[in-house]
Amino acid sequence: MNSIGKQFSNSNHNNALSEIQQIQNLRSSSHQLELSPSISIPPISQPTDFLRAHTDDSKNPDCKIKIAHGTTTLAFRFKEGIIVAVDSRATAGNWIASQTVNKVIRINPMLLGTMAGGAADCQFWETWLGTQCRLHELREKERISVAAASKILSNLVYQYKGMGLSMGTMICGHTKKEGPTIYYVDSDGTRLKGDLFCVGSGQTFAYGVLDSEYHWDLSVEEALYLGKRSILAATHRDAYSGGSINLYHVNEQGWTYHGNYNVGDLFWEVKEKEQSFVNVEA
Amino acid sequence: MDIILGIRVSDATLIATSKAATRSISILKDDDDKTRELNKHNLIAFTGESGDTTQFAEYVQANIQLYSMRENDIELSPKATASFIRNQLATSIRSRKPYQVNCLIGGYDTKTGKPSLNWIDYLGTQVELPYGAHGYAAFYTTSLLDKHYREKMSIDDGLKLMDMCIDELNKRMPIDFKGVYIKVVDKDGIRLIK
Amino acid sequence: MSRRYDSRTTIFSPEGRLYQVEYAQEAISMAGTAIGILSTEGVVLACEKKVTSKLLDDDGSAEKLYIINDQMLCAVAGMTADASILVNNARVAAQRYLKTYNEQIPCEMLINKVCDIKQGYTQHGGLRPFGVSFLYAGYDDRYQFQLFTSNPSGNYSGWKATSIGANNSAAQTLLKKDYKDEISLKEACELAIKVLSKTMDASNINSEKLEFATLSLSSKEEGKIIQKIWNDKEIDLLIKTTGVLNDKSTGDE
Repeated sequence: MNSIGKQFSNSNHNNALSEIQQIQNLRSSSHQLELSPSISIPPISQPTDFLRAHTDDSKNPDCKIKIAHGTTTLAFRFKEGIIVAVDSRATAGNWIASQTVNKVIRINPMLLGTMAGGAADCQFWETWLGTQCRLHELREKERISVAAASKILSNLVYQYKGMGLSMGTMICGHTKKEGPTIYYVDSDGTRLKGDLFCVGSGQTFAYGVLDSEYHWDLSVEEALYLGKRSILAATHRDAYSGGSINLYHVNEQGWTYHGNYNVGDLFWEVKEKEQSFVNVEA
Repeated sequence: MDIILGIRVSDATLIATSKAATRSISILKDDDDKTRELNKHNLIAFTGESGDTTQFAEYVQANIQLYSMRENDIELSPKATASFIRNQLATSIRSRKPYQVNCLIGGYDTKTGKPSLNWIDYLGTQVELPYGAHGYAAFYTTSLLDKHYREKMSIDDGLKLMDMCIDELNKRMPIDFKGVYIKVVDKDGIRLIK
Repeated sequence: MSRRYDSRTTIFSPEGRLYQVEYAQEAISMAGTAIGILSTEGVVLACEKKVTSKLLDDDGSAEKLYIINDQMLCAVAGMTADASILVNNARVAAQRYLKTYNEQIPCEMLINKVCDIKQGYTQHGGLRPFGVSFLYAGYDDRYQFQLFTSNPSGNYSGWKATSIGANNSAAQTLLKKDYKDEISLKEACELAIKVLSKTMDASNINSEKLEFATLSLSSKEEGKIIQKIWNDKEIDLLIKTTGVLNDKSTGDE
């Protein structure tokens, strides 16, 4: 009990933190001019432990750096291609950092990547993936397959395993040889091919709606609505998801953007139309 | 919670792996294949830390195929394959970031005409067994196999025994593992039964 | 003319030759002869000992024959000092393979590894190539009994019967004449003595000038390989039964 209390009440007991303070004190005390050249190195002995201590709020709720975690994203395959739908809320702890985040990264005109977990990690590595895909195209004179693109990303994140990367992403695209394809890639290094994935803190809520009405022969209109409706469900129940919904459809022509829907407005519209959400009074 | 289970019979080795791929509280995939073909007569089945599992299996697969390329298409025997994998894991466990992977190697030695099942854990323990499993599956099935396994069983006998194990797991495991893939390794190579 | 291209092994001469490698091979053709013969029941290696002195205090062990692992032997022609480096390398490589795969290394793979080292020294600047040729006798379950040679350039080849060192071309002519497929191990040993007796400079041959080794399958334990480095008594007995001494003496008269 005591140890738990300590963990929650005082971040000064954090080893990495006290180490860095020690070093900083040491540094500020020496004022002599240093004429010899030096190489600067991080003033900590274990960067991985340091990062974990300061970013992982499951281990240390008082951590100073809060990585944006909460999200709902989904993608599914059907007769007419792929639907991608995401929310737009970014949270850092209990603080809503933004309601207008773009969680779909347009890797190139044929490939989309969704973003869950660390926003910076996803943004950085998925744009990096974009350059890798372009280089593949230039070298091989052929568009990269979704399988290969997702494997580049999964191999990359695997190299950083255990060092604090936090990503849950779906790489969605269409190629001649593969057809419409979705790969789930996360920062554990997991890479799975599948027809339907929901990722993020609101995943369970999205799965609930999506699984109940999903079937292969959905029309594009039905599929877009189902994607949108599933994210809406998640934003309604998951505190860390919200803002607005971004919708995409992917087919052999590449992706097309199907608009941004503010959850606040959409909710009442859907409730009215479906006569659902009866627990909420208009 | 993943299930991997192996039974060696007279002229084949049977390997069963669960189909569910689970991440935290969701099953993300219900047709996941937790095996890789190392060469024509060697199959690895694996469980453990996500990411590590496929990376390790594919690393081993690449090395064993590289051996055959260098050696005029000669296949590494099941014994040599298992020793190689054991060695990799034994080296890994003392490294900065060990692979947390447990595996079973189902093999058929074309030279001696004998099937084999090798059980290897992430610490680098290796044993050749008539039947074996990793994880929770082992708790339910080992006693069952101790009771019903016999020397000189046919593939069909083995499959029946395998079904008994899967039925027991379906009955007692608290989490749905979405059924299993069953693969056979024998003189004709590796094939999927169901 | 050739001087400019001698000092560095990495440089081709205008005629497209690597002199240092050729010189190394030249040095070996003056070393004691070694003969290897493959039979249906095993392999025999026989070599001529060049350094023989009554004052030499040897422990009776062979100086040109080395055991590499449980199923390989080799004979050396050339610089023994260089050879010991390569033999040590081969022994370590064989053990490393055994540790990784829990199986004996296939003969050709091991020879290939040793030859890769030899080849490296014909290419990297400032180093002298290894002045050794090897005769390898081996057994593995892929190809059963095998006989190989390798030379300083890093080339290797498999043989039914061959020879390295002094007079090797003469020895090979004799072997070509007398070798037959389906030869037994005993016949192979006798053939080796016969050939050596004719190619060696010495007038009479005896155990003092010879080293002999055989590789064969055990009759008691299946799959077990017997490596035998012969002692003086056994060699003398073989010379006696072969009758090469008698042939010689009658010839001399």
